[in-house]
Amino acid sequence: MTNIKLKKDLLSKVKKVAAAGGYSSPEEFIEHVLEREIAKLEDAQSDEEIARKLKGLGYID
Amino acid sequence: MRSGRKRIGWEAIQVAIAILAALHSHPHSTQLAYIGPGAGFAFFGSFLTLVAGLFMSLLSILQWPFRMARRALRSRKSFRKARVKKIIFLGLDGLDPRLTERMMAEGKLPNLARLAAEGTYKRLRTTFPALSPVAWSTFATGVSPARHNIFDFLDRSLKSYQPRLSSARVGQPERVLRLGRFRIPLSRPPIEFRRKSQPFWTILGNQGIGSTILRVPITFPPEKFDGKMLSAMATPDLKGTQGSFSQFTTSIEKATYENGSRYPLRRAADGFAGEIEGPLDTCVDGAPILRIPFRVARRASSFELRIEGQRCPLNRGEYTGWQRLTFRTAIGAKVSGMVRFLLTETEPEFSIYMSPINIDPERPALPLSHPPYYAAYLANLLGSFATVGMAEDTWALNEGVIDEDAFLKQAYSIFEEREAMFLDALESTRRGVAACVFDTSDRIQHMFYRNMCRETDAQDPHARVIEEMYQRMDALLAKTLPFVDSGTALFVVSDHGFCAFRRAVNINSWLRDNGYLYLQNGDRESGSFFQGVDWSRTRAYALGLSGFYLNIKDREACGVVSSGREADELKHEIIGKLAKLGDQDGAIPIRTVYETASLYRGPYLEAAPDFIVGYNEGYRCSWEGAVGKVAMEVLSDNPKAWSGDHCVDPVLVPGVLFSNRRIDANDPGIEDLAPTALNLFGVQPPAWMEGKALL
Repeated sequence: MTNIKLKKDLLSKVKKVAAAGGYSSPEEFIEHVLEREIAKLEDAQSDEEIARKLKGLGYID
Repeated sequence: MRSGRKRIGWEAIQVAIAILAALHSHPHSTQLAYIGPGAGFAFFGSFLTLVAGLFMSLLSILQWPFRMARRALRSRKSFRKARVKKIIFLGLDGLDPRLTERMMAEGKLPNLARLAAEGTYKRLRTTFPALSPVAWSTFATGVSPARHNIFDFLDRSLKSYQPRLSSARVGQPERVLRLGRFRIPLSRPPIEFRRKSQPFWTILGNQGIGSTILRVPITFPPEKFDGKMLSAMATPDLKGTQGSFSQFTTSIEKATYENGSRYPLRRAADGFAGEIEGPLDTCVDGAPILRIPFRVARRASSFELRIEGQRCPLNRGEYTGWQRLTFRTAIGAKVSGMVRFLLTETEPEFSIYMSPINIDPERPALPLSHPPYYAAYLANLLGSFATVGMAEDTWALNEGVIDEDAFLKQAYSIFEEREAMFLDALESTRRGVAACVFDTSDRIQHMFYRNMCRETDAQDPHARVIEEMYQRMDALLAKTLPFVDSGTALFVVSDHGFCAFRRAVNINSWLRDNGYLYLQNGDRESGSFFQGVDWSRTRAYALGLSGFYLNIKDREACGVVSSGREADELKHEIIGKLAKLGDQDGAIPIRTVYETASLYRGPYLEAAPDFIVGYNEGYRCSWEGAVGKVAMEVLSDNPKAWSGDHCVDPVLVPGVLFSNRRIDANDPGIEDLAPTALNLFGVQPPAWMEGKALL
């Protein structure tokens, strides 16, 4: 875990939005927002890699 | 006093294991090698690790009296408002209320029946969809899937439409040192836990109330909290798969498998010889497969397996104990796994089944527990145990590599390993939570439910397999009850029920037939993972076991449907048409199509399928449709041994709830158990929790 500094006003808004949105903490809200943005930039895995990781899961072929 | 001694004993064992771990470390130890399945090994400086290990051990010894004193003081304060000393959750995955009620009425489940009579028995509302990863995540967090982010076993990449495990992602090491053809990872592969919100045991831990959480699904990677945890569902095997078996055989040319791998067994002068394929060695260019040779020698009336200097008898129909396999990488690191072998035939062909290569709990290549040495503690105390997420090898039975008896032996062996862990947790839990989920009930119903749907011959040895399993679960309750006193709240919980799986529905094929999904070149069939789908014309697609998605502009990479009015109209059109799908005998495969946005609200709703399909009893999504394959037929028979399922309308498959306390709520749901646990310990359930305390 690494600490990130936020301005007090922004932190106050983050806390309100996180609580209203159903997040369990302001940290979870911030992580979600960041993950969503980062996902847009990430590369997709190869089909072969995907198939290998799912192999053995009882419910699917 | 007995429990107090146990508690001190556990502290002492922690210190002892830390010292042993440090002293045991040497340059080629598995503890120094870290494998991200399929992602490579990170090899850390051995000297630094040894020094750090010894330092931590010394620090731990010096801190021990202070920790004990602090814990005692904090514990006294933490339990001041508590109405119970201890809560026990006995999770029986998939225990079905209809079968349970019938067998209780027939007097076959005396302990469950007595618990119901003296306390409570109710049907327990499950989640939408009724899948274990979803329902147990709701059990842990007290929130709906839209707040914990687990909607299925699988989710999809919005960029590539490819399926992924929904709960955990193992990545590649970020820092790698290249030396010629060698690649030395300088950091561990990141393991991302995708389940969100907070489990009740973390909240209790923050208040100084400890828990022991054993094999509750969707706990990989293990989270840090004030307590002990052993990970479960989604824990991979050493190859990075969800558990793939190997078969070694002299009849190599005769079969191909949908799942698992078949390898040749060569005839040699004194027996047979083969080679085990392990994980990839990504520490060297080309990432070759790591291999371990083995031999099988003939003995007078049996065989002997010789592998890495170990010898063990190999008798037909009898599993070997856990055998440790040590794979050596190009840079000298070792990675340790464990397997069990089963000799399945000797004449005229010779075949051996090998279980998936489980991560070794004593030398874990990936984190299996919190604290990290808890898995090693359990293995040292009770013996090695299966660590892969879904440990019972349903595919080996589906493929006919092992038979029904071998499957049952394996399932009950895993059950016994877990029972020993659970009883140890009950012994050592004087105050706090002890929770354990047993998968045996789910797996045996999946593989033997066909026997519930037909007249079985009285001579059929498997006619009563499911009934016997329910009785084993009842006997497990009998072993739990001595740990229940007046200060204990006991809950026996299942996450969903069960029904038959006779016919399969491929939603992707239906979408094709109705002009919502198109294939390139006018093809009628696609490969797995949407190979050949024309995304520029496709408006809807199905992935996973429970639902399907619209191809929304600015959400999916090649989205074509505008969100808002166009999407809403399309949703209603599809729901109306799909509900009219009929089967050959006039049966209706789909009971209800749910629009997910109407089921729950939360920050992760955007990751949910747009629709959840409520299949009727007897139906489920097809095997190939779940991984994005468009088949020729919409409806087909399910020919597999896997003949029971719960991926149906959740209204049809509630779970069970037993307690030694009286619960008056009319419609308890699995989301109510987390706030109930908090409330019983005098901790106010947080506002984000959607469940309501039952006690």
